[in-house]
Amino acid sequence: MKIKVLSILLILASNTEGFFHWLKHHLITCPFKSLTSIDCPGCGIQRSVVALLQGDFLYSLKLYPATIPIIALFGFTIIHLKFDVKNGAFFIKMLYIAVTFIIVSNYIYKIITNQLI
Amino acid sequence: MSEEQFPQENPKENNPFQQQNPFPPQNGGMGFNGMQQPLPNATIVLILGILSILTCCCYGVIGLVLAIVALVLSKKDRALYALNMGSYTDGSFKNLNAGRVCAIIGLILNIIYLVLCIIAIMMFGLTALSDQDALREALENMK
Repeated sequence: MKIKVLSILLILASNTEGFFHWLKHHLITCPFKSLTSIDCPGCGIQRSVVALLQGDFLYSLKLYPATIPIIALFGFTIIHLKFDVKNGAFFIKMLYIAVTFIIVSNYIYKIITNQLI
Repeated sequence: MSEEQFPQENPKENNPFQQQNPFPPQNGGMGFNGMQQPLPNATIVLILGILSILTCCCYGVIGLVLAIVALVLSKKDRALYALNMGSYTDGSFKNLNAGRVCAIIGLILNIIYLVLCIIAIMMFGLTALSDQDALREALENMK
């Protein structure tokens, strides 16, 4: 089992350019965007995750600033549910509010600067 | 679930009076001989509450459903906890409350987004919205 996982990881690592090329051309189309040609509040997160996988933090932040906090939120939630961190629920609440604030302010910024289309 | 498990674990408690009375005995708030278990839906509520904001992109419908499910589950669990405070762990109640706050925020944002979508469709019409150039013209006429 371990050898299988390791070999898959090795194949992915040895052929990263092809992997990212494949990933970039197989992103899920946003249903809202395809219907109305307006960005939704979640548009850009997949491109941002791909940029993050490639190690391009600044470009990822530019595409969708909430990606890194969302990943942190998920990671912390898993750690909290597994090991029961002290005051973990409070941190999750605060992180969640921060994430919503970032998403909403990013969408309002997009509306103001006419980047929606 | 708790009512089924406890008589097996401590058969001394298995008398008819104990089963009719849902309140714990007075032994320092520790419940049934210190046996505490997490609330049954605390983890699910937390995860659904967090997911409700992330799926807001699909017209706000999926997130709405997730948030409502999380709120209903959390209401049930809060009633359970209020009935029987001693027998559930404090941490799971905190998790439940965090999940509830997340679900409420997600619900509000999803409703706002849904209303905005409907307003946009009413203002411009679906034909203008699906055509980029027509939409750009309509937006420039608004200024």
